Amino acid sequence: MRMSTLRWTVLVIAFIVLTYGGLVGISLGDFLPTFACWYVGESRGGDCFLWHVQHHFSGHGGPGYLVRPNAPMLLYFFLLLLVLGKAWCGWICPLGFIMDVLDLARRRLNMGYLFFSQRLRARLAPIKWVLLFLSLVVPLSCFPFFMRSQIASDLSQPYCQWCPAKYVVPLCVGNVEEIAVNFRSGVGIFMTAVGLVVAGLFLIGALTKRRFWCSFCPMGLVIGLCRKISIVKLKKNCQACTRCGICYNVCPLDIEEIFTERTRTNVTYQDCILCMKCIENCPEEGVLSATFCGRTIYRATQKGFFSNPVASGRRARQEPAVGAADTISADEGEPVLSGSRPS
Amino acid sequence: MPRQEDTTEELQRRKARFVRALGRSTEKVLHELEADDRRPATMNRFLDVLRRAFLSGEEVDGPALHPGQKVIGTYCIMAPEEFIYAAGAVPIRLCGGSYEAALAGDDLVPRDICPVVRASAGLTSFGLLPIYRRFDAVIVPTTCDGKRKLGEALSDFLPVWMLEVPHIKETERSRIEWLEQIYAVKRNIEKLTCRKINRKTLREAIGRIARAQYQARRLHELRSADPIVVLGQHAMLALNAYAYDTVDEWAGAMTRFNDELEQRRRQGRSVADKRAPRVLLAGSPVVFPNWKLPMLIEEMGGVVVIDETCMADRLLYDPVGVSEGSMTEMIRGIAARLIMPCTCPSFSPNEDRMYRLRQLVEKFRVDGVIYHVLKGCMIYDFEVARVERMMKEAGVPLLRVETDYNPEDVEQLRTRIEAFLEMTGAKKSEARCESNEILCGN
Ligand code: SF4
Ligand code: SF4
Ligand code: SF4
Ligand code: SF4
Repeated sequence: MRMSTLRWTVLVIAFIVLTYGGLVGISLGDFLPTFACWYVGESRGGDCFLWHVQHHFSGHGGPGYLVRPNAPMLLYFFLLLLVLGKAWCGWICPLGFIMDVLDLARRRLNMGYLFFSQRLRARLAPIKWVLLFLSLVVPLSCFPFFMRSQIASDLSQPYCQWCPAKYVVPLCVGNVEEIAVNFRSGVGIFMTAVGLVVAGLFLIGALTKRRFWCSFCPMGLVIGLCRKISIVKLKKNCQACTRCGICYNVCPLDIEEIFTERTRTNVTYQDCILCMKCIENCPEEGVLSATFCGRTIYRATQKGFFSNPVASGRRARQEPAVGAADTISADEGEPVLSGSRPS
Repeated sequence: MPRQEDTTEELQRRKARFVRALGRSTEKVLHELEADDRRPATMNRFLDVLRRAFLSGEEVDGPALHPGQKVIGTYCIMAPEEFIYAAGAVPIRLCGGSYEAALAGDDLVPRDICPVVRASAGLTSFGLLPIYRRFDAVIVPTTCDGKRKLGEALSDFLPVWMLEVPHIKETERSRIEWLEQIYAVKRNIEKLTCRKINRKTLREAIGRIARAQYQARRLHELRSADPIVVLGQHAMLALNAYAYDTVDEWAGAMTRFNDELEQRRRQGRSVADKRAPRVLLAGSPVVFPNWKLPMLIEEMGGVVVIDETCMADRLLYDPVGVSEGSMTEMIRGIAARLIMPCTCPSFSPNEDRMYRLRQLVEKFRVDGVIYHVLKGCMIYDFEVARVERMMKEAGVPLLRVETDYNPEDVEQLRTRIEAFLEMTGAKKSEARCESNEILCGN
């Protein structure tokens, strides 16, 4: 099976488990490092880490409450991070799945994609920090200041109000309640209105840019910050790389460093979602690889590259080789300008 | 299209002289290649392609061309052939390798410029070969100074599309500008052929070229085999023939060529002595029929196990990477494959070339580097010092050979190459002795 097919399979299964698993009693825990959105309701098969963090920080026991009674849960959270690292993003995240589905729709519509220049990427990088700040510091500060007031309750899940998952994922279980402005208070109106705008932008973004939200996502940021301790890594043999730039072009996050890197072996960058597209499409034997606990689990191969249905020019067959001459027939294609010659 | 040769009788006569001389020298090279029984039988197809292009007066691959099908000449591997095929046209690589053509070009370009440019100018302005009378436009990437001005000189004779190649490929800005250039070429091609390049046709074209690239890479792997299954002059010729062939035909022929080499490998058949020094032929392009250097090296007992020239090993090495197949992605992929992995010394800095050469030396267990400098090729000559330093570190000797298409310096080259190969050969057996006492017991 090709890596991309495997990834899709896992992504679909994960989506089903995390959004409908609750219906058959699956519960993977309260602190999942992924957008298993709480607002999906009873049918969810696990809980988003950020929801619980905000919940506890904003006074439901305070930050201490997050740690003390939940110590085993937190341990579980870090274990999950350790074992899968950023693969949570590329392989499990339900919002990531929705983005990939929209991406597929884009391709069906014959649309190209936007790509972020490195400069733009650098400029956008602070946004995820702001969102993380929002989800940690705002709940913490609103508790002592506003106690149990209306404002405090409206600010208790501040990031969630702006998280596209809150509006989009519940739709998948037929829940449309979240798509509304909360008119209880000024704060509520503001937060939910901005959230709806973000959700709208998310839909447009995901239809035009590969993995749009991942560049802004605070969850991805948290996971990314832990990438050093995670045992899944993306490795590169810099000596054998030809710097063809293919890995960069196929990377949904437009990570330039993956191909420019000439010294480091570990190329798991902050933004990387470990989708392994770069490995799948690198044409040089073993230049890119994924390791688990130091053991190589997947590596780039020439054969793998040329078995790509697009690169090899055929859809199903594995061997791109034997050159049956398929000449183009003269009447194919449409005229642009007849009889004109460039001067 | 009015051409220079039609204007006066004198010109006609000169042209006829050039054509005759070119024919004679090309035939000589082809004969020598044919007389060599170490060549794979399946190589004949490539010899035929070259003979047809250079001698028989037929148009390119005559039968494969539809009436009215456009032919677009390219002057460098940095021209996007994918678009040409996608628009239903045929690309031909036009870089010249003939001595007589270089002489013919002297009217048009300075004599001190490299012979590739002189020969290209001669071939195109005089229309010396049938294929040079056939094309509807040429793409001239502005790599070195010679090529850049060549483009201007040729525009008197036919439509020329200059393709501005960035000289610094590291920055994102130059990559974006390059992408714009690539879109412009695409529009030009669409206009010329009156066909819109769409997702389907482009995808197909990428696939067709990828099949050829797959075979070229297979050959690359087979050349690294031990014992040696193919001589460098034969492998390079097969690759050179791509310039005058259509991609599918070439890929088919290459498949058979590789199959034969594969068979040789299985049978353990070798075309060279075990002790033969393994040579990396680096530097300026070796363009048919200027075959004197690879032939000399192999005549003197060396084997060109690998080369890094843009008319042979580099010609089809770098494929387009596509994961989703949208227009944007494919065009970005094409733009990237043309310049990013390219180790042409027209790029500066060109650290990538050093990495590439190191990789080749290691992978092909190279004993010595012969560095080809065509007289007047400034940029390859410029880098020889860096390459030499690097090779010194790797413990691999390097010989700089400066020459042009003139056959007269063959004897002098022979002496130098012989001495170099003897030295590397001696060094090699010494190293073998050290590593294996039994082998040198005799
Ligand atoms: S809205 Fe976002 S942050 Fe909040 S629970 Fe849902 S996925 Fe998690
Ligand atoms: S970075 Fe992307 S994939 Fe990862 S949690 Fe955020 S939205 Fe999901
Ligand atoms: S695809 Fe592979 S060879 Fe090409 S730049 Fe990326 S890592 Fe290097
Ligand atoms: S660097 Fe590779 S694994 Fe990471 S996001 Fe980009 S393509 Fe995916």
